[in-house]
Amino acid sequence: MKSDFKRIIEKWIPQNTKVLDLGCGDGDLLEHLKDSKNVNGFGIEIDISKANECLRRNIPVMQCDIDQGIKEFDDLDFDITIMANSIQCLKNPNLALQNILNISNKCIVTLPNFAHWSCRLDLLLGKMPITKNLPVPWYETKNIHLCTIKDFEELCYKLDLSVIEKLYLNHNFKESPLTKLLPNLFAAEGVYLIERK
Amino acid sequence: MIVETKKILIDSKLECASGEALESFELMTDFYGELNEKKDNAVLVCHAFSGSHHAAGKRDSNIGWWDEFIGPDKTIDTNRFFVISVNNLGSCFGSSGPLSNNKNGERFNNDFPQLEVIDWVESQKMLADKLGIKKWHLVIGGSLGGMQSLQWAVSYPKMVKKVGILAAAAKTSSQNIALNEVEREVIRKDGNFHDGKYLEFNKSPVKGLKAARMLGHITYLSAKNMDQRFGRKLQNTDSKIAEDVDFEIENYLQYKGGKFAELFDANSYILLTKVMDKFDIAQGYDDSLETALENITAEVLVVSFASDWMFPASNGKEICLASIKANKKCSYIELEGEHGHDSFLYPNEDYQNAVKNFIESK
Repeated sequence: MKSDFKRIIEKWIPQNTKVLDLGCGDGDLLEHLKDSKNVNGFGIEIDISKANECLRRNIPVMQCDIDQGIKEFDDLDFDITIMANSIQCLKNPNLALQNILNISNKCIVTLPNFAHWSCRLDLLLGKMPITKNLPVPWYETKNIHLCTIKDFEELCYKLDLSVIEKLYLNHNFKESPLTKLLPNLFAAEGVYLIERK
Repeated sequence: MIVETKKILIDSKLECASGEALESFELMTDFYGELNEKKDNAVLVCHAFSGSHHAAGKRDSNIGWWDEFIGPDKTIDTNRFFVISVNNLGSCFGSSGPLSNNKNGERFNNDFPQLEVIDWVESQKMLADKLGIKKWHLVIGGSLGGMQSLQWAVSYPKMVKKVGILAAAAKTSSQNIALNEVEREVIRKDGNFHDGKYLEFNKSPVKGLKAARMLGHITYLSAKNMDQRFGRKLQNTDSKIAEDVDFEIENYLQYKGGKFAELFDANSYILLTKVMDKFDIAQGYDDSLETALENITAEVLVVSFASDWMFPASNGKEICLASIKANKKCSYIELEGEHGHDSFLYPNEDYQNAVKNFIESK
């Protein structure tokens, strides 16, 4: 994970909290948060070699499918859950969001914006978008529920979730005047801190 | 690798959970590698139901049950770790059990105290004390050995730095107990059983023991694995070991069952299956797994196999979820496992990496 991205997420994580990282990959974010914020981190990862990397880093990990996993987590208790670039891979992102906010007070969601101008251009040319943060062709991608910044914010409204913080970032994980002005057109990533109303 | 096998006498009383006691007892123990000066590199490997202390290396043409996992540069690297493998009490490979004598010099037979997993832990705690080991770097085992590892972490939290629970469960299921009871019944109904006193009649219920093992063996494999390995293949006429055998799988079970019955003791079989049946880590903790795990300070790794129907993967996941709830540092790895329940015995890259990374992580 890019260090700029890690720094953004880090800001929203309080010290000494219990953190769940859904789709934690090789555990580098949790390792970073353990060092910088002394969090009690726990990851979910479906890929065995990545889960094994978590074990090597001594990051507790549960190797399972998030779609399956969340269902079984109903009485766990976390302070904050991170879904970095994984919500669009889930079978039922809407149910997942609700479930997550049953087991943790807050949730950080990051997602690729499918309405970024480069995606729109690809579609205008009649092709499925292939961009910096969506590099995999349609037939191999794990992203089955892509959405736009507008879509996601509408979903939060519909589910009665409040967005406490949000950032619109370009491909370099930076805010710019353009991403602030017209996020749904110029932001490549949306980053949100949400909680139940 | 330095390998030693010793029969160690523990000359103190072991009070068993059942209320019975052993005045003293012996533990047949294998040692691989060397204990370092700080005595902080000891690993306790716990064998499954019918296993023995012989975990690694070749001895009289027999290869240890976890040979591919224990040795120099292997999953548990004996260049770094000092591995101890103990034949459980009540078994029949040299540790005190139904074959040994009581304080009056008479063979126990079926009167050996009925043990529980916690008694094994107590006996091994006494062994650790004798060896001057104050803390295990790791306690690890599969199946009943995994249950034992879990019991270690619960009973002596300060003595266990890491615990590996492989193809195991927090308790045996009704189905596990049911199958064990069929196996026991087959042994008891062998005409040579003599209420467990068969050795006094110079007899042995080998037929019952063989049939029990044949049933047990099926529960260790997966349906898919059996289909792949044997399918519906017919047995060659020249290699049939019993007359009415048609299929390869029948011949295989006949062979394996027969071999086992030559090596194992029927009273041990009954005693050890009962140990398994009685295991429920949450017993005494209001039946709450989460409460039972509260004392654990060890880092926990649970590995389950999707093809295991004896202790299904959901059993392993349950331990991990309860651990997380109890704020423990617990990881869970679920592998397909080609060999059903027995998968924990077989080498596999992902599996071995998981165990190795867990053991060696700081």
